[in-house]
This record gives sequence, structure tokens and C-alpha cells, in this order.
Amino acid sequence: MPQLNLVYRQREAGDHLRDLSDYRRAGGYEALRTAVTTMEPDEVTYSLVRSGLRGRGGAGFPAGRKASFLPKDAALPSYVVCNADESEPGTFKDREIMEDNPFQLLEGIAIAGYAIGAKRGYIYIRGEYEHQALVLDDALRAARQAGFLGRDIFGTGFTFDITLYRGAGAYICGEETALLESLEGKRGQPRLKPPFPAVAGLYASPTLINNVETLSAIPPIVERGADWYAGIGGAEKSPGTKIFSVSGHVMRPGNYEIVLHQTTLRELVYDMAGGFRPGHDFKACWVGGSSVPVIGAESLDTPLDYESLNGVGTFLGSAGCIVMDDSGCIVRACLRLAHFYNHESCGKCSPCREGTSWLEKILQRMVDGDGRMEDLDLLEGLFGRISGRTLCALADGAVMPVRSAIALFRDDFVRVIENGSPRPEPMMEVAVHG
Amino acid sequence: MADYAPVDLSAGDQVEFELNGVRVSVPAGTLLVDAANAHGVEVPVFCYEPRLGPPVGACRMCLVEVEGMRGLQTACSTPVQPDMVVRTNSPVAKDAQDGVLELLLANHPLDCPVCDKGGECPLQDRTFRFGPGRSRFVEPKRHFPKPLDLSPRVALDRERCIACYRCVRFSQDVAEDGCLTMQERGALSEITTLTGEPYEGRFTGNIIDICPVGALTSIPYRFVSRPWDIDNTPSVCGGCAAGCNVELTVREGHIMRVTGRPDPNWEVEEGWICDRARWSYDADRAPSRLTAPVIREGERVQQPDLDAAVDAAALVLANTGRVGVLIGPDATVEEAFAATELAHTGLGGAPVQALTIDGAGLAPLRALPTAQLGDLDHAQTLLIVGGDPANQQPAVELRARKARRRGAHVITVGPRPHALESLGESHRSQPGALRAALEGLGDVGEGSLAICWDEADLAQEPDAAAVLARIGREREAISLEMGHGANAAGLRALGIPSTGLREQIAAGEIDCLLTVHADPTAAPGAAEWGWALGRVRHIVAVATHDDQVTERATVVLPAATHRETEGVMVAMNGRAQRLRAGATPPEGAAPGWELLIALGHRLGTPPPYRTAATAFAAASAAHAALGALTHDDLGTLGRPLPQTPVAGNGHVPDPVGFSGDGLPLVTVTRIFGERASHRSQALAEARTGADITLHPDEAARHGLPAGARVRLRTAHGECELPLVIDPDQPQGAALVATGVPDAGVERLLPADRTPVRVEITPA
Repeated sequence: MPQLNLVYRQREAGDHLRDLSDYRRAGGYEALRTAVTTMEPDEVTYSLVRSGLRGRGGAGFPAGRKASFLPKDAALPSYVVCNADESEPGTFKDREIMEDNPFQLLEGIAIAGYAIGAKRGYIYIRGEYEHQALVLDDALRAARQAGFLGRDIFGTGFTFDITLYRGAGAYICGEETALLESLEGKRGQPRLKPPFPAVAGLYASPTLINNVETLSAIPPIVERGADWYAGIGGAEKSPGTKIFSVSGHVMRPGNYEIVLHQTTLRELVYDMAGGFRPGHDFKACWVGGSSVPVIGAESLDTPLDYESLNGVGTFLGSAGCIVMDDSGCIVRACLRLAHFYNHESCGKCSPCREGTSWLEKILQRMVDGDGRMEDLDLLEGLFGRISGRTLCALADGAVMPVRSAIALFRDDFVRVIENGSPRPEPMMEVAVHG
Repeated sequence: MADYAPVDLSAGDQVEFELNGVRVSVPAGTLLVDAANAHGVEVPVFCYEPRLGPPVGACRMCLVEVEGMRGLQTACSTPVQPDMVVRTNSPVAKDAQDGVLELLLANHPLDCPVCDKGGECPLQDRTFRFGPGRSRFVEPKRHFPKPLDLSPRVALDRERCIACYRCVRFSQDVAEDGCLTMQERGALSEITTLTGEPYEGRFTGNIIDICPVGALTSIPYRFVSRPWDIDNTPSVCGGCAAGCNVELTVREGHIMRVTGRPDPNWEVEEGWICDRARWSYDADRAPSRLTAPVIREGERVQQPDLDAAVDAAALVLANTGRVGVLIGPDATVEEAFAATELAHTGLGGAPVQALTIDGAGLAPLRALPTAQLGDLDHAQTLLIVGGDPANQQPAVELRARKARRRGAHVITVGPRPHALESLGESHRSQPGALRAALEGLGDVGEGSLAICWDEADLAQEPDAAAVLARIGREREAISLEMGHGANAAGLRALGIPSTGLREQIAAGEIDCLLTVHADPTAAPGAAEWGWALGRVRHIVAVATHDDQVTERATVVLPAATHRETEGVMVAMNGRAQRLRAGATPPEGAAPGWELLIALGHRLGTPPPYRTAATAFAAASAAHAALGALTHDDLGTLGRPLPQTPVAGNGHVPDPVGFSGDGLPLVTVTRIFGERASHRSQALAEARTGADITLHPDEAARHGLPAGARVRLRTAHGECELPLVIDPDQPQGAALVATGVPDAGVERLLPADRTPVRVEITPA
């Protein structure tokens, strides 16, 4: 059951690292020094490519390759944007980074900025993360004061600073192009791609946009080498560590930074998160946040890595592992998710705007006891007309958890259609991690 | 509207690809939707509108299958690649079309039978062609209270909105007024103004034309007619000199609606029309509209039938000594030609004058190669000299904004603040010092240069005109005249002078005046003209509306408006275009050219033409400037007249000084502050009145608080106006709104339109 705290350095240190001196004692800013004093920018990018680090925001796109897409000879300045709009239901891993280990994120952003030749980075943080924004604000000030941001960093002439920008509470702004729109002061809605942000992102300039956890993983890679990182875990395409946020009907919900491929879902749920209340057992799990297909008990022994999870029909996603025991109603859970996606659909693409709203209405009707058997076929027909037909992945995210739930738990849907779904009993209090 | 961009299949650099199994070719870079349309394959769209800028890919209606690409592609955003294999009618593509329509219709109300858009609705049409036969949606639909007034002229029915964003993009990216936005998210998204205030602007009505559903409808047209009981006629606006092409909607002989052309004239307005063009049509039925002829004999006023009135007019003209003919700038080519012919023949060589600007000093500018409005799109530098196009030739505003969006550097030089000054580099000139401002520009931007120049301003400053023409020649610029008067260029092509008649009247050489759409008391020199009119014994007026001339005319012959007559108008840049009679004139009125031809018959000099088309052909044969064109040649889109360049000698004439004492007087005619807007009920809430605008310091110097009534006096006349204080207005000049009926501002101005100073005192 290997846990390895590379990003959660504060857990190794035993206490939060909100003070710059603590972070320095824990080895902080050595990676930035190494990068800017001993490496060429391209070397840093190449090192990221070799490390095999994949985007931790959800899509899992190789981070190094993404950085390498930025044009080298652009007329416009380049930007690094940190996506801290952590809004995926069940996902709260970035929050802990920003709260307890903010400098590692700032250091990672600075290294990324050095790699792509940027002078300016932005952190787009979800509006609800007020406390985290305050922590980052303090950290930014401290880093600037210590010369880790600003002019002539480590006396190398490298100049870089970071601006913190708070969102206004829209899930869609976690989608990279909607985030950029919002960061530019516009209504947060996804853009048509191409052009991709690497070519024309923020202010139509080359932009590297990465998740908090991805950027926070950069300092250890630079410090200890790409090969070392690539060897962690042993899965060729899924090296390194990944933080899973476990929530739901488990005894010890919380964040667990695990070694990819070395840990199974069963170990995560039962050993780390403490399993279930007496008398209850595993029923279903949305392992990668709310936008991925649900899996059942038969998948519990799947190793947690990108490929293995794909193999059981789901995605690692943002690793917001929502666990449900046998006391829950799968149809109600689907309704709750459908409500979320309907509420958060930005409304730009017709299939998503109208589809998510329709989806919720159908599920609500089922839960209210007015479902029809033909609704299952209708839903299946709708799924096909919503997913894959929109600008961004929100609509797919709305479809996948429900579509998979019908496939996996069809009997539950039939039962609810026949009898409705009684309101669940309030859940007993569960212990909180720590 | 213009759902697809025109594609030139004969252009070079073609790429071949496969479209539904057929090899076809289009110019490289063409978007799939347009390429398919050019080859007769309809890919349905809602959000795509080539005039709104880059595609946004929001509605997802245009999904098609492209071999080798994952998932379906939006044809609106996918450029054709060589040898691409595209299927727009495969089962997957058809399912996508059917699916998007099913989803769009889920919340769309089934109120087509009472919807103004019903019958001409893209959503309706595309549902029939591409959509599901029935809905599987059994849930309650989304409901909003209906409808909201987005403005006094545009109704918003939020239930019908399919959130295609066309209106928002028009507001943000075409009119650039920044007013419209979407609020709320997802299925609750709704169109609104950013401020919550009504959507006011110069071009707001275009959002009705581009709305693909009945969400945005025209309030004056609400419940007025159905698409199957109307006729649509392509015509020309005639509201200003820009010559925007419009479509007249007619029911039972009445104009019910004016819209942009569904097939735009890309060379002129590309389908966008200003709100005055759209909504001032009800001026044709204003209380002041002349619907029956009038004969005055002393105190006796008769209303005979039209034939009798023509007889009476002929008698008056034949028996009142020496006749003069005055032609207004809105008269058509046919009307002006018939009137001049009448003057030469039946009236024995009567002098003729047009109420237009004497452009003697403009010859060098008019010798520059003439631009079509569409040519401004490709300019790298746009130099706008004088004027206030946003108010006076609104089509120029949209073209200038578009040119800037496409990367043009916009330079404005002129004496008055206006909306286009913010587009780039702005140089405010002192009144009368345009030449110095132009000479101070140094290098005028880079690359291809287009010059837009105001006819009135440059005519007042012939030295500046000569300098500007020199810049134009040196830079091989194209030139767009921002003219005044809907057909002033047509009157010029007929060789009608802009001076002479008033002086002859003043000298007592004219006993009788024939006016054709001319009210000189509403034009510069109103005071002098008013006095002159008092000197003639009789007036025969051919006019559409009651005015100061018809009030005192011996015979009034009611004429058709430009929405009720055939004819040709020549736009400011020399583009001849056809008016088509959409509506029928009132029973007691007839087209002006018919009345003038009838007068010719009565006076014993029957002209050899009896229709507008033959009259135009005759005019065209007699005047080389009309390029031997015929009505048929002009078609629905018109043709530029041939340019006859006058070789300039580069001479810079002396400036024309300001006369009188006080502040230099600068005038502007505001878009809703002129005759048509003041006659229109639909535009009642948009109307602006006459006023004088001063810089705060200037007002303080004169001891005038905002809102004060101000007495203005020049050597020519005086009037009283309310004061507006605006820090944007330069010091050392007074800006006065002209064109407002009955405000008397024109009394301040000399008939020769030379610059004057105005004395300002509290009223």
C-alpha cells in the first residue's frame, strides 16, 4: 500500500509549509535554482517529457509534450496559467496543496515559466477557495520578498512573476479555454479549438495551462531527475504519484498521494480510507471525479493508474474518488450529478445546454415515481446525441456517470421506475481523516 | 439572412475534396459550410453567420463526418483541406442534425401559429428539412414571461431563444456597442443588455434580421402580417447618401417592414442597415404626408383630383412669366431628368438648381479612384477626414469598424467629436484648419490607403481638399466620398448646378418656382431662401410631405416617396442603384416623374418617354456620366457609374475664411435628428432634437449653464436652442445639430454653405 508524498511535501515534513523558511528547510526552491542556474529552458521541457508526468487535472495529457507545443519564436509573450479552479465534484486534492504547501506550486509555476520563456504566470483559483487564495497571496508576497519571484531570480536574469486571479464560481471555468476567457474578463465559456492554448491562449498568446498538482509535481522532477520520476510505480505510461481524494461512504475520507500502479482501488478504499460502516459494503465508485463512468465491486482489484482504469471502462480523471455503499440509491446519485451538470452547463453548445436540462428532468421524474420503462431507451438515445457533440467535455462528463450507471445497475433503475425512490435515511457521522 | 458566405468558384488556388461522394473544388481556406453551400449542399446552421466574424461553433447544428477525423466536425469552423472526404448526409451526420434539432426544440415553445417569425423561420425550415418528425420530450418546458421589450422597437421572447449568440456577437463584434450579453447559464441563459437598460443604438434592428428564431421581433411589425400575405421587394434605402440596399415588405400596397437584404449587397451594406433605414418607413403615412393635391387661389383652397391639379399646375407654369426649377437632393434621377427636360423645353429654358453642395473645390478629390464601401474591408490604413459618418452615413461606421477588426489602422481628422474617433488615431482639427491638420499627419499609416472624406466639410475647405487629394495621389489611395443627400451624386451626374437660381430670384428675375422634392427653408440658407420664396408669385410644388414650400404653393402635386416609386438613385460614391416601388402611393399622389412627364404633355412638349425605365434610358443617353446604363443593367445590386477623372494641376486654393463674429459654427445632422426620424412614430423614442454643444469652459465663458436656452445669431439669421455641455467638444467652436424640422438652425447658415461664426447669448 505505497503512499509517497512528493507533492504533499508537508506530510513528509509533518506540518504545513506555509512559511517560506519551513519550505526551504524541506528542500524548497532547490529545484528552481537547479533549473535556472544549470539548465537551458529546453532541457527543462525535455526533462518533463522524459519524466512521463501526465496532466493531473483530469485529461491526463503528457505534461512535457504540452509544454513542447508552445512555439519557440512567437511574436507575443508566453504565459503559464495554473488551473486552480478545482471544481470537479469529489475532488479536493489541490486545495490541500494550496493550503499547506503553497510554495511548491509557486516553484513549479516558476520552473514552467522558465521552460517556456514566460515572464508572467497566472493562478486562476476558484472563487470559493477564499482561504486558499489568502494563503497563496501571502506566499506570493513572501516569494517575491525572498527573490524567488520578480526580477533576476537567482541572479540569472530570469524574470518572472505570478498574478493570482479569483474566479466567480463556475465549474466550466475549469475547462482550460473557458478559464482563459474568464481570466481575460469575459464570460467563461469554452472556445472553439483549434487554435489550442499552446498557440493562442491567454490574450491570443502562447499559453501553457496546467493543473495545480501537475505544476507542483515539477520541482521534485527537476530536483531528482526525470528518470527517477519515470521509474516510480513501474507503469510505463503512468509513472509517478497521484493524489486521490476519497469521499463518500468511507470511514476516513481524505487525500491520499499514492504511487500509481502500485495501489489497487480496494487498498485505497478499504486500507487507506478505512472501508465502510459496519453492516455496509461497497456498491459503486466514481473513481476519477464525477465525470467518469461508475464502476462496481468487480473492479475493486484494479490497479490505480491511467491504463488499468481505462481497462475497466472508466478514467483516472481528477482522481476524486466518490465511493458509495449499499445504502445509497444509484438513481438519486445520478439525479444529483445530472443536477450539477445542468446547473453548470455554460449554455454555449445546444446539446449540452438542452441535454443536461432534459437529463435532469427525466431522472427527477423517475425519482418522483413517474418514470417509464421507455425512459431508459430515451436516455440511451439522448446520451448519444449529447456526448461527443460539444466544444468541451462537460457534456461527456454529464453523460458518462449516468450512462454507465444504467449499464451497470439497470435493475436499480427498473426498481425506481416501478416504485420510485424513497428519500434516503440521513447517514451516520463518519470519522474524519487524521 | 446571409447564412453562408459567397464563394468564388472561379478564383485561383482551388482545392479539391469529396463532398457526399462527389469531387468538387473551392478556393483554399473556404469553410466547409460555405464550400458545401456553393456546391448546392445545405449544411444547416444557426450560430454561423459569415458577417459576424470568426465562427464560434456553438449551436452544433452543422456537424458533419470527415473521414479520418475523430468524432463529428463543425462544418462552420473546418476549412476545406485537399482531398478531404466529407459526408453531410451519412447516418451519423443525419443523426447529429436530427439530434441537435430535437434538443433545440425540447424547450422551444410551439407557438409558431402566433409567432411573427412563423413561415420565414430558419428553425422551422430546418426542422422540416433535417429534424425529427416528433418530439420525445414529455417534461414541462422552460417558461419565461413573454415578451420583454429589449428596446422600444425590439421585443425579446426568451422562451423562443436557442442561444445562438448571433445578436450578442452583432452587438459586440459588428456594431461594437458592447450592449448585449447573455446572462445566467445553461438552459436558463437569456439575452439581455449588460446594464439592464434598453438596447439603444444606431444598428439595433439588425439583430431581428439575424435571429434564426422568433426570439427577437420588431415591435412595430408585431402581429402585422404573415409571410404568406406579404411581398418582399429589393430596393434602396434613400435615407442618406450611402445607398444601403434594403428589402421592402409590402402588404396590400403598404410598407409593413423594412429589413436588410437576405442576399446582401456585399459591395455596399452587406445586409446591415441602420435603425433609421429600418423603421422610418411609417413616415410615409405620417400626418404630414400629402395625400391629395391642393390648389390655392388667394384665400380659397381646393382639393381637386390629381388630373385637374396637373392641369392647374401647367397653367400656372405656362402663364406666370419666368420660371425657375429647384430640385431637392432626394429626387430620383428620373425626376430630376424629367424636370430639367421640362425646364429646357416646356418652360422655355428655365434655370434649374439642385439643393446640393457646390463642390467646385472637390474636383481633385473626386478624381481619385472611387471606393465601394466593401473596398474599405481591405484597406490597411483608413483615413476619415471630417464629417460624422456614424450619424450622417451610418453604413460607413460599420465598414470602418470592420476594417479595424481586420487590422486596418484608422486615422480620423476633423473638427467634431464622433463615434469613430476611438477606433485608432484621432486628430481634432480647429474649424477651418483641416489643411493644417492633414499636413501635420506626416506619414499617413502604412500600406494600402482608403480615404473617407466628408463632402460638406471638404467643400468648405477647398485648400484641405487639394492637400488631401495630393495625399491620395501620392499614396495611390482609394477614395470614398461621405456625401450628403440621397441622390446628390445623381443630380451631379445630370449636370444640374448647385447655385444660381436663388440669386436670380433675389434679383427679381423669377416669377414662378417649380420645386421637386425641394424645401430650401429646411436647408442651409433657409433665411435667404425664405425671403426669396416670398418674391416669387407662384410656386408649383411636387412633394411628399407638407412643408414650408407646400404651405405657400399655389399648386401642390403630391408625389410618391422613394418606397413607392421606380427610379434610380446614385449613392455618394457614384453607385447607381434602383428603387423599386414596393408600396402604392396614396390615391391623390403619383410618382414625381409621372407628374413631371404629365406636365410636359400639358405644356405641349411631350417627352419621348413614359416610364421610369425609359426616362432613365433617355437620361443615360443624354448624360455620359450615367454610363449609358439602363434599369436592367442596374439589376438588384446596382453598378458604379464610370469615373471621369479630372486632371488636377495640384493647385492649392486659398482657404475660405469664416464670416461674422463669435465662435466658428460646426454642424452635424444626427441619425435620429432629421426629417424622416421626426416623421416616424416607430422612432419617436429615439428622436433627438436640435441643440448646441459647447465645451464646459466655453459655456462658462459665455455664462451659460447646462440646459440653458441659448440665442444663436449669425449674419444670416438666428434661432434659439438648448445648451448641451460636453467636455469632448473642443473649445473654440460651437457644434450645432442641423436637420431637425422646424428648429430653425438652417437659418444660421448661408445658402452658399460657406463657414460662419455664431454669436451666443443667453436667450
